[in-house]
Amino acid sequence: MILDPRAVVLLGSNALLLFLTQMVNSATAEWPFYLFILGPMIVLPALYLRHQSYFICTFLTGIWVDVSLAAPFGLFTISFLILGAIIFAMRIRFRAEHNYHPLLLAHVVNFVLMVALTLATGYEHFGVVGFWIQIFTTLFCSHLALLVVGPWFFNLERLFFEVCRMETEPEDLPLL
Amino acid sequence: MKASFTEFQAPAWVANSYLEDLEGFWARRMHSKKELELAGQEIARAKSYYQFNARRAETLQAEIQRLEAILDLPSRREYRYEVARVMRRDLSAWWQHLILRKGRDHDIPEGAAVVFSGGVVGRIVEVNAFTSRVELISSPNFRMAAQFEGDPRPVVYEGVAQSGFGDPVGRVSDAPQDLVANTKEPLQLVSTHLGGTFPPGIAIGKVAWLEPGSTGIFQAGDVALDPDLLSLHEVAVLIPLNPIEIESHDP
Repeated sequence: MILDPRAVVLLGSNALLLFLTQMVNSATAEWPFYLFILGPMIVLPALYLRHQSYFICTFLTGIWVDVSLAAPFGLFTISFLILGAIIFAMRIRFRAEHNYHPLLLAHVVNFVLMVALTLATGYEHFGVVGFWIQIFTTLFCSHLALLVVGPWFFNLERLFFEVCRMETEPEDLPLL
Repeated sequence: MKASFTEFQAPAWVANSYLEDLEGFWARRMHSKKELELAGQEIARAKSYYQFNARRAETLQAEIQRLEAILDLPSRREYRYEVARVMRRDLSAWWQHLILRKGRDHDIPEGAAVVFSGGVVGRIVEVNAFTSRVELISSPNFRMAAQFEGDPRPVVYEGVAQSGFGDPVGRVSDAPQDLVANTKEPLQLVSTHLGGTFPPGIAIGKVAWLEPGSTGIFQAGDVALDPDLLSLHEVAVLIPLNPIEIESHDP
């Protein structure tokens, strides 16, 4: 089968995470907190799926995020595919069935995505102090929230696998 | 592909917005009869006040038209106000956007001005079938022509990257040297007809301090914007009744 049905579940979960994050951001627009939580979206697809399903899931997730946020179109699609490919190439080293490694990966990916977005959109404002204050506030809040959201999100994705009676183990378990 | 995905996502946000409206409706139904009666009285008072103002505005409009006819002035741009609900606020260091629950279905054009009771909100930058995206006046990518109230000389207003803490701010530049602003009597910055998008006289913000700009010829300063800008629920889109046709000079 070209497409693993788990890719559809993971894509749906990513859309749900983005929707919830944007709802929170909309509700807290008056406050200086902005949540940027995209890191967990590409971790489990890269760790669980075969390359074709991983590619389709990550590509569609990237476009989904690109049209939803006001960033230059294609930035997240390309970033997701590059970062996902790096994780995919090293996935034998990570324990996907627990949350520790995926959470660490989610933090690293989230940070890299935020740096990429800042470089792509904010280079004109690098001299403005207010810009950096908000960037660091966003960075701090997002990674703090990720400590809670990350494990919840990974468990939710695994729960969806069980509810939909799908394979709950990654394709390639690490060699011990 | 972008348009297809955007339209695919839109129903979830539209449904969410309608659910919020429903939540508000049921929350209001929980009020006691006494509270509703008091609210009704307040609305009746406000209604009679606005009816009086509307009649006065009609009289003044007729007077303006009469004087314009005497002076043979060119006709001004007329606008239709399309009130739209704010579906989502997306305010970050990288962008400052609002998503409205009206789009091409209500003939909202790209580039249209968006205003609220406190003044200018921003400009429409993207229109979809049932939604549209507004770039806020506080967005770092926003720029418009403006003038100080009572002074016809044009200045440039632009949004700046927000720190997130405190009220939103903008920046005015190219202000003439003879203008003096202080915290006791801040200068009111308003829109001008020169940009073509906004009608003249709509409030942008207040300038409490002007200092020599980088060239030394003009002055520049920070503009304090309306703090309600970050918590808007409803705005009005100004749709030009006689849009300016931009002629292409390409061979």
